[in-house]
Amino acid sequence: MKALLPLLFLPLIAWAEPATVIRTTDLKAEPASDAATVVQLAENSRVEALERKGGWTRIKAGAAQGWVKMLALRYNASGEPKRGDTGVVQAFNVARTGSSGTQVTTGVRGLDEEQLAKAQPNSAELAKLDRFAVDRAGASDFAAEGKLSATTVPYPKP
Amino acid sequence: MTRAFILLASLVVAAAAHAQFKLPDLNFNRLLDTAKNLGNAVHEPTESEEIAVGNDVAARLLGAAPLAADARTQQYVNRVGRWLALQSERPDLPWHFGVLEAPQVNAFAVPGGTIFITRGLLARMTSEAELAGVLSHEIVHVVKKHHLKAIQKGALASLSADAAGSALNSVNPEARAKLISFGTELYSRGLDKSDEFEADRLGVVIAARGGYDAYGLPAVLQTLQAMNASDSALALMFKTHPAPGERLDALGRMQSVLDAYSTQPQLAERFVAETKTAR
Repeated sequence: MKALLPLLFLPLIAWAEPATVIRTTDLKAEPASDAATVVQLAENSRVEALERKGGWTRIKAGAAQGWVKMLALRYNASGEPKRGDTGVVQAFNVARTGSSGTQVTTGVRGLDEEQLAKAQPNSAELAKLDRFAVDRAGASDFAAEGKLSATTVPYPKP
Repeated sequence: MTRAFILLASLVVAAAAHAQFKLPDLNFNRLLDTAKNLGNAVHEPTESEEIAVGNDVAARLLGAAPLAADARTQQYVNRVGRWLALQSERPDLPWHFGVLEAPQVNAFAVPGGTIFITRGLLARMTSEAELAGVLSHEIVHVVKKHHLKAIQKGALASLSADAAGSALNSVNPEARAKLISFGTELYSRGLDKSDEFEADRLGVVIAARGGYDAYGLPAVLQTLQAMNASDSALALMFKTHPAPGERLDALGRMQSVLDAYSTQPQLAERFVAETKTAR
């Protein structure tokens, strides 16, 4: 049991997502363009993504580790499903109905096409939305608490 | 409005011309009605019409999935969303943000300034910058009136011109019901791809304006891309949006903006603290 315990925490610490490099990319020692290049990765190199920092993702490529531009990575590039259904929808049904019986096979609850087609207006929920609304001053105070400052950024040309 | 006026004016001129040729059965009132209805059909919805249509559509979406029970998270999402909306060209709409009690991964923008995000999507995010990226994308849909224009186009295609006009200002209940049904179905059919790509590009800008790490939206798209595409929680979102990989490719055009604002705060700790009970 003692030996198994560390395994329980494995997904938390060792997040490693198989990914592919979509173009020839420099593997950098640090998450910065002017950092030293560890190695140049060829297009379609298979790597393991470990963590993200701004526009950079730390990866493992064979024995080498370092940072690549986040947008140079694509996940699940083979198109094959890597993992099964996450099961959240089924778990949700159990929580909502108390049983995982026929509900699961006849369609899930929540926001899917069928539910949208059948939906009747819920004016009580609509009225609730007002309760949580925030005004200009509330939004600005909240931004200041998080040390967010508004910046002028123009839209790109279409 | 100008267009309706020109139409009316030209009909009046035509009527006057006819009058000179002494057409006795000319019904001036009917001509005026026709001009008014043509005006309705082409008129841009007013802001209050937009908000009213939005409320009707939002009530239907809430009929499919109610708000998540956690008041703290609801308030938090409203604070983030309202701050971002202030960075847009429509800062003073009656903005409302809501977390829907649904396991699916999705977010919705409703005309007039109501924005929903599902609990399933919130649960897969790791920072306020990621939440900001998604809310900014939805804010662009509202600012650019993507849904409103699609609803209007659909109404004109399926209703007569005067029914479409009176549906907008709720004069005709039957036409109004059709308009709202069409508006709700839109969330099953999706917008034009070009609207989604525009919301991604401009959404990145809104998040950067709000002071967030601009990579929030791309990070969420990568999370979606890493999920199993056949996961039932993704079905509707994947049906109504371009594939995440395609959206990430398109955001490559925004690399310089993304990089210029990549060191702004991500606020991962605040996000986790404020949403933990809802996730």
